[in-house]
Amino acid sequence: MDSEANFLSTMKKAIPELFEPNWRLWSFLAILIFAIVALFVFPVKEYKGLIDPFYSPTILIVPVVGLFRLTCYAYRKDYYRNIFNHPQSCAADERRDSANRGYSGETTLFAFNNLHRYLLYFGIILLPFFYYDFYVSVTYFGGFVLRFASILILLNAILLTLWVFSCHAFRHVFAGGNVKCYDCALKPNARKGFFNFQSMLNKRHEEWAFISLVFIVLVDLYLRALAAGWPIDFRIFQVI
Amino acid sequence: MTNENYKSIDTDLLIIGAGGSGLRAAVEAINSGVSVTILSKSLLGKAHTVMAEGGIAASLGDVDPEDNWKVHFKDTMVEGVYISDWRLVEKLAKEAPDRVYELERMGALFDRTPEKKIMQRAFGAHTYRRLCHVGDKTGLELLRTLEDKILHSSNVKIMDEVFVTKLIKKNDKVIGAVGLDMKTGEFIAINSKSTIIAGGGCGRIYEVTSNSWESTGDGIALAFDAGAELMDMEMMQFHPTGMVWPPGVRGLLVTEGVRGEGGLLYNTKGERFMLRYSPQKKELDARDVVARAIYNEIQEGRGTEHGGVLLDISYKGKDFIMKKLPGMYMQFKEFAGVDITKEKMEVGPTTHYFMGGIKVDTETNSTNVKGLFAVGEAAAGVHGANRLGGNSLADLLVFGKYVGINASAYAKTANLEKIPEAEIKDEIKRVSEFINPNGINPYSLTEKLRKTMSENVGIVRNEQNMQKALSVILDIKKEYKNIGVGGNLQYNPGLLQCLELHSMLEISELLVRGAIMRKESRGAHYRSDYPKKDKKWLKNIVFKKNEDKVESSTFLPPEMPPYLKEILPEETYE
Amino acid sequence: MNKEVKMNVYRFDPNKDKEGKFQEFTVPVKEGMVVLDAVHYIENNMDPTLGVRWNCKAARCGSCAAEINGKPSLMCKTRVDSLGDKIHVAPMKAFPIVKDLVTDVSRNWEIARKIPEFTPKKGLKEPWQIAEIDVSRSREFRNCIECFLCQDVCHVIREHDKDYIGPRFMVKAASLDTHPLDSINRSKFLHEEGGAGYCNITKCCQSVCPEHIAITDNAIIPEKESIVDSYYDPVTMLFKKIRGKHGQ
Repeated sequence: MDSEANFLSTMKKAIPELFEPNWRLWSFLAILIFAIVALFVFPVKEYKGLIDPFYSPTILIVPVVGLFRLTCYAYRKDYYRNIFNHPQSCAADERRDSANRGYSGETTLFAFNNLHRYLLYFGIILLPFFYYDFYVSVTYFGGFVLRFASILILLNAILLTLWVFSCHAFRHVFAGGNVKCYDCALKPNARKGFFNFQSMLNKRHEEWAFISLVFIVLVDLYLRALAAGWPIDFRIFQVI
Repeated sequence: MTNENYKSIDTDLLIIGAGGSGLRAAVEAINSGVSVTILSKSLLGKAHTVMAEGGIAASLGDVDPEDNWKVHFKDTMVEGVYISDWRLVEKLAKEAPDRVYELERMGALFDRTPEKKIMQRAFGAHTYRRLCHVGDKTGLELLRTLEDKILHSSNVKIMDEVFVTKLIKKNDKVIGAVGLDMKTGEFIAINSKSTIIAGGGCGRIYEVTSNSWESTGDGIALAFDAGAELMDMEMMQFHPTGMVWPPGVRGLLVTEGVRGEGGLLYNTKGERFMLRYSPQKKELDARDVVARAIYNEIQEGRGTEHGGVLLDISYKGKDFIMKKLPGMYMQFKEFAGVDITKEKMEVGPTTHYFMGGIKVDTETNSTNVKGLFAVGEAAAGVHGANRLGGNSLADLLVFGKYVGINASAYAKTANLEKIPEAEIKDEIKRVSEFINPNGINPYSLTEKLRKTMSENVGIVRNEQNMQKALSVILDIKKEYKNIGVGGNLQYNPGLLQCLELHSMLEISELLVRGAIMRKESRGAHYRSDYPKKDKKWLKNIVFKKNEDKVESSTFLPPEMPPYLKEILPEETYE
Repeated sequence: MNKEVKMNVYRFDPNKDKEGKFQEFTVPVKEGMVVLDAVHYIENNMDPTLGVRWNCKAARCGSCAAEINGKPSLMCKTRVDSLGDKIHVAPMKAFPIVKDLVTDVSRNWEIARKIPEFTPKKGLKEPWQIAEIDVSRSREFRNCIECFLCQDVCHVIREHDKDYIGPRFMVKAASLDTHPLDSINRSKFLHEEGGAGYCNITKCCQSVCPEHIAITDNAIIPEKESIVDSYYDPVTMLFKKIRGKHGQ
């Protein structure tokens, strides 16, 4: 009993991330593997006008979106902490080895993360496609047919929008983060109001980053189920 | 254990105290080109000034355009119950606005009006809305701004966590000081051409106080021991609203800003009792009036079980409170588990500010001892018998500048003298002798003193209680001779308590003696045996040490010139 | 509620000890008691030589920073009843120890000196006009009480010997950079001398701030983004050059 506890605590010290898992990070890695397998081994691009989010507008953008996520401040925090163990956890160097492990922060290799805003520009360009997918999905049969899957596609678009627009780089470049004088703007209250609103979203950036990622997979899984012939293509509302 | 080694430092100007007044003086002195050394008992930036919440009183007229220096002068004189020195008050009222703008130009960021001017809030007994503020953290902003200025200046040396144990005189002039560097346990001798005492007040001589650890009156006691005159020693302000629960934070200040922003006081019967005590100014009457009203309510059994009354701001709504009083919200949330946006606060009077202190020349802020200057809470004269909220920050900005200019001008004319080695060694020996594991515990004596002061020389005083307090103080003074702690000279809080207790005893004794002498009630000094104001006492009591004897006298400022008399309503007596 | 609490206080006296160790004291618990109350109890009744730094006891001065049960916290703000019946109090690890719970934080003043100070725009009409909407961002940073808990928890300072100024001073720089009338850009300093690149935004500082300042989100990341403007983003750099507003 005692030796077991000792073994456990030694392991905990050696690989703390195994014992205190960071769900966001592990989901990200799981989804990465899932995406590779799913996209290359069992691709499902479209089912009756429902376009798989991985293919919107084309599979070729997946690496760019991946890079966008990789340079996102939320994911950076997660992999620095959990993969590189810098830090292992706040104020506790349990393995007492941090000082011996080289550390250069974001000054060398990870300085590329500073290009996050360019990936943001791509991300902004991509967003309309997801809304377009919703349009395609409801007009596929002619007229207006709202399927359960359409709602998922719309929700997915909204979540992605929330993630993109809550971005720290967006805050700096577009929302007025780099502005010293809001009062100098044409409409000061609107300018500051927009900054405050964006800041509110920004507070939850980590959450949006996680939820939007998981949701993509949920939509993908749902479409796969449809493509496999599951009878779950519910129609909610239609005008033909 | 004696450590005879010491470090010697030469400087043009020595400033003892790194609070608002000390740093403001330093900024001015640095500008005038003298070398400056600042000694601080606590860490840089931790001085009691950071606790100032409400704001800086200055008649900018940004919110109420009718306001001007004359009204500020009148308010200050009237609420100081006519024993403030009009020469100081005139300067304060006239120059506070410029000092506020100056602080803004140094980088302080005040709350603003819709017209983009500095926002001013209402405060007790100020006729107009006059307090320039930074939320409820004005003191912090003020101190950080000055600190930043000084950190970016050259020719200044900041030595924090140094306790000055003695001022050294030669031919009746102060030529420097000896102190103990707490961090290293090393003694320091500073040879200075001129010296400013900016050591703050002494609220810690009472049990329930809003004051920081450091407010033990060391600056005042140092000056007194060096022969400086002290004035208005009986005038200790009790702030009406301090926290009363839980016990660990009893006395902690609840800013007057709460009442300034509309907070209302209730007793446990649900009655808004200030309507009864002060139908005109209500909750926003002067601090002595509100404090006594609350004291009365509690005495007469209409207080809460923890000995307080209720203060309510919740009706103003959450957004308003979070914007205007974020510090108060956090303070109650985290210390008492009370949400002030929903519940009432429990408050009671707490020792807050020492109006008395070192008597200074009204032109130069010099003391009667050559080469020695004083400013801020350590100095007397501006606030008389009762300080208005916001006037202390105005005081330290206005007179900090004056004393900076005058003390550096003096330094330029004076010669640097070396403190004789024998005197340093004597002082080192005296201080080192407190290291004695068999001595009386300084904490128990301090507790006894604070308890006595709170019980007998509080908001309501009388001859009998004060005589009792005096005899207790004299007893403690006898015991003090056998005080001691174990350990060594390095960062030894017990040793520090021994040194501070000397200051506390000195000041407590004079406070009680002054209060016994003043046979009337005026401002913060209220005697149940002499409940009325007496024209005979329209003067200040002054104490001075001559050899080892304490002498008392009275002082009357020169007659006010007609242009000031015009502003001021005649004082009335019943 | 427990009637007593076991206080394990870190003791180290440079005059006689080679290394520090925890000493246990049993302290009676009162309602609403904070860790600093317990330390004071020890000081007043058991060992007056126990070194501790404190001032206001109201979470307004930031003197009493320590590591309580491993977490950097203010002693005056941490309730004893939130911690169970055994409490460990240790000095901040990121700073050299002076004695017992007291550390030497003077390095921070050296850093403070280096940050380019407030430099107002030239030719402003006095008294200055500033709109309330331009004040609020800077205000958050000005709540800092300089307890240096963020410096203590920061792994760059704590575990790696790098020239990083630390979260407190990123906040300081941000408080000046967001002053509506300040005229200089501190990106150059932060990038070239301040070591801002060493921060990997892992947010420990933000989690310990007793003033609840969003250190990483509102101060460090915006400063990093400003650095991107000047050093990594070719378009903004070009744009700035054309408009002639580059850096200081």
